[in-house]
This record gives sequence, structure tokens and C-alpha cells, in this order.
Amino acid sequence: MAEQKHEPKIAAFLCRWCAYAGADLAGTNRVTYPPNMIPIRVPCSGRVEPSWVIEALREGADAVLIGGCHPGDCHYVSGNYKTRRRVALLQKVLEELGVEPARLKLTWVSASEGMRFAQVVRDYVEEVRSLGPYRGQFGAPQELHEVEENGGQVVREAVSHG
Amino acid sequence: MAKPRIAMYWTGGCGGCDVSPLEVGEAIVDVLSGVEIVFWPALMDAKRAHVEALPAGSIDAVLINGALRTEENMEMVRLLREKAKLIVAYGACAHLGGIIGLGNLHSAQSLVDTALGEDWQASAPVPGANGDAPPALTAGVVPLSDAITVDYVVPGCPPPAQLIGQFFRGLLEGYMPDVGHVFAEEKALCDQCPREKEDRPIERFVRPHEIEPDPDKCLLDQGVVCMGPVTRGGCEAACPKLGMPCTGCVGPTRKAGDLAGGMISALASLVRAGEEGEDVFAQEDEILDGLVDTVGTLYKYALAGTWKRGSGGGGK
Repeated sequence: MAEQKHEPKIAAFLCRWCAYAGADLAGTNRVTYPPNMIPIRVPCSGRVEPSWVIEALREGADAVLIGGCHPGDCHYVSGNYKTRRRVALLQKVLEELGVEPARLKLTWVSASEGMRFAQVVRDYVEEVRSLGPYRGQFGAPQELHEVEENGGQVVREAVSHG
Repeated sequence: MAKPRIAMYWTGGCGGCDVSPLEVGEAIVDVLSGVEIVFWPALMDAKRAHVEALPAGSIDAVLINGALRTEENMEMVRLLREKAKLIVAYGACAHLGGIIGLGNLHSAQSLVDTALGEDWQASAPVPGANGDAPPALTAGVVPLSDAITVDYVVPGCPPPAQLIGQFFRGLLEGYMPDVGHVFAEEKALCDQCPREKEDRPIERFVRPHEIEPDPDKCLLDQGVVCMGPVTRGGCEAACPKLGMPCTGCVGPTRKAGDLAGGMISALASLVRAGEEGEDVFAQEDEILDGLVDTVGTLYKYALAGTWKRGSGGGGK
């Protein structure tokens, strides 16, 4: 227990036409990728409400991945463009809150890109692992300090109150 | 029927809520003659000991305004909960954490240091110590409903006259809605706003002081971030009518859920730099970058209710 390494938990909202189909293809092709991602199928990446992202982080996810169609490929013409703007604004809010914007990632994966999907997940799991666990810490960045946890994991934590 | 016994208490507030019942105008005569005021520090000299001496459940309704910022605030609201039949979260601070909740962006220690200067400890007693020391600050502001069970909410900063009137009418006539009711509309503020909406794309965000807004047109159409689409109606669009954007003080509609989340959706739909597509990504980002102070704008009143300081991101 003492030496247990932190395993990131990533909530992934995947559009059913592209990214989710890409994940399915990765599965049927027996491509392996780490099991840290919890896939949630949505009709369109544009269906992902910003408040879901906030709720996921609040309820224990270390990061949120949104997967949609490549630009120009959206089944509903422009859902993914709207998602892109939402993510840009959300990341701005996260940054001001003192939460690493990298805890939210938007990616484009088509239904034929099973290999790419697996690679995106592999890369993102490593990226989130390097960020450390998210425990609701937020606040002005200068007030977050790094503490070492079990297993040598470095975690940013809010400075305790005086 | 005996007159309802009421109390009003302020925790970390500005006093605006205590004055706000006067907004109802002449009806204040009916309100004051219809109730018996047991405890109201802003109006009368009653001390904590008086409240402690009351039997449990002996106050019909306690209106609590202000943010929970100190250990003493927490003790008082727990005491009042014990003495009250109904607890009403009155005003944005008690409802959502309020503007004071923005202090959650900083640690309690750094807030004190900023307010009093770095070397204040040399001359002042440590908060939370015995004797004359001020009460210790809590780690962060929380909405009233996080500390005690809240029966009703009268929202707003301060609550608008119409909503105060609705509440007192219900109380005096003994006809209250189901517990949990928020005394405001379910529909968004835009529904009450007389400004004309044309759904024009936002090509540039402007702050209220940068323009003289067209008096008849939607503020969002003019690039001003107005929280109307995600905020409950009930104030008759008081601010937009005067040319100022809604800042969301009445709290989110049930549909919006989260003020910032809902507003990000709305803004993402409105920002357009011509035909949507990859070609305009850079231009769109430039427009989005023009939105300044996103936390202070989108979470002006609701930060403490959404992002809880020190409570952790879930059971790990």
C-alpha cells in the first residue's frame, strides 16, 4: 500500500460517430492501451456540457478527455467546432482557478483511427500521471505548493489555512 | 393565528440584506405589524445568550444572510438551526457563497495577511485564541446549505423586492410552497428582459465601461457578457434595464445547473468569426482571449458553492 503508485482516472466523453467508433475499432483490433480511461458515449462531442467537465473533476476524475470528429467531419455539421470553443473557455477558467488546463483535453479521432485512439489514450494517461492526482486543489497558483506523497509522487496541494 | 416569530441574522455579509426588506415599500408596514421579531442584530439589541435561552424550535423562521467565513459563523447558524422551525438562506452569500466566496481563491492566511499587513501578528491577538481574539477563519467559504439544513432560499444580491414580497406574503398568510423552494422564477432572466435579441455573433467581448450600450438591444448581441441566459428571473431584469449586464446574483436556473458551465455553453455558441471551420480557429481564439476575469465574471457569486476549498476532488 505504502509504495502504491497513483493510477490516474480519466473520464472520457466520446462522440458516437467518430471517437467512440475509433475506440471500438481499437478493441476489435486488439490494440492495447491503459485501462485508466472511463469511456462515456455521447451523441456528439457538442453534447458535452461544460458543467459535466466541472462535475467530473469535482467527483474524483483526475482529468477529462473529450473525443470528437475531425474538423469538417461532424455528423451534425458543426458540433465539434462548438466543443472546441467550449474547451478553450473552460481551460481559461481552469487556469484562472489554478487548476492545470491540461486536465482537460480535446482530441479528434475518426472511426477508422483505432490505432490513433489507443495512442492518444496512452499519451494522455502519461501526461495526467505526471500532473499527479487531482484532489480538488485550486486557488492562486503561488499558494499551491508541491508535496511528496507515498511512492515519491509529487502533488500540488493548497496551502493549509493558518 | 399568532404572529409568526422571526429572526434575521448576518454572518459574513455587507449589511445590504438586512436593509433590503425596506425595498418592498409601503408593504413593510404590513410585514412589521404581522410578525414578531425575536432576534435581529441589525435592528435590535439582542445577544447570543438570548437566543441560547430560547426553547428549541421556538422561532418560526430564521432568515440568515452573509457568507460562512468564521468558526463563530458556523456556531451561530447551528444554534439558530436548533431554535428555528424554518431556515431561510437569504441573499446570494447564504445561497451560493456570494462575492465573499471569491476569497476561496486564496488561503485564509493570505487573506488575513493582505487585509492586515504581513506583520499584523506582532500587535494583534491570533484569531481563534481566547479572550478578545477575533474568531478564526474557516478554510473556505461554504454556502449555508453545506453547514445546516436549509428550507427555503430567497436569492439575490440583495434579494429584489418582488421576491422578498413573495416570501413574506407566504409566511404571513400561512401559505408556503414545498420545502426546498427557491423564491425566484424557473425561467431565465432573459424571459423578463425587454431588450431585443437578434442572436448576433460576438465578434469582440467588451466590458460594460467600454461602450454606451444600445438601450433596446440585447447586451450579449453587443458583446457584453450578460449572465441572463443562465440566471433565474425574478428581478424583472433590473440590471439589464439600466444598461448593466446581469451578473447572476439570483443563481442558476435548474436547467443551467452551474452558472459558469451554462454560460460557457452560451458564449461558445455566440462567438463566431465568420463561417465556422478550421480556417477561423485562430480568429475565434483571439475573440475568446478577449474575455477577461473569467472566474470573477462567470462565478461572481457561485464559486464557493461549486469549487470547495480543501474538500478534495472525491473519495480517493
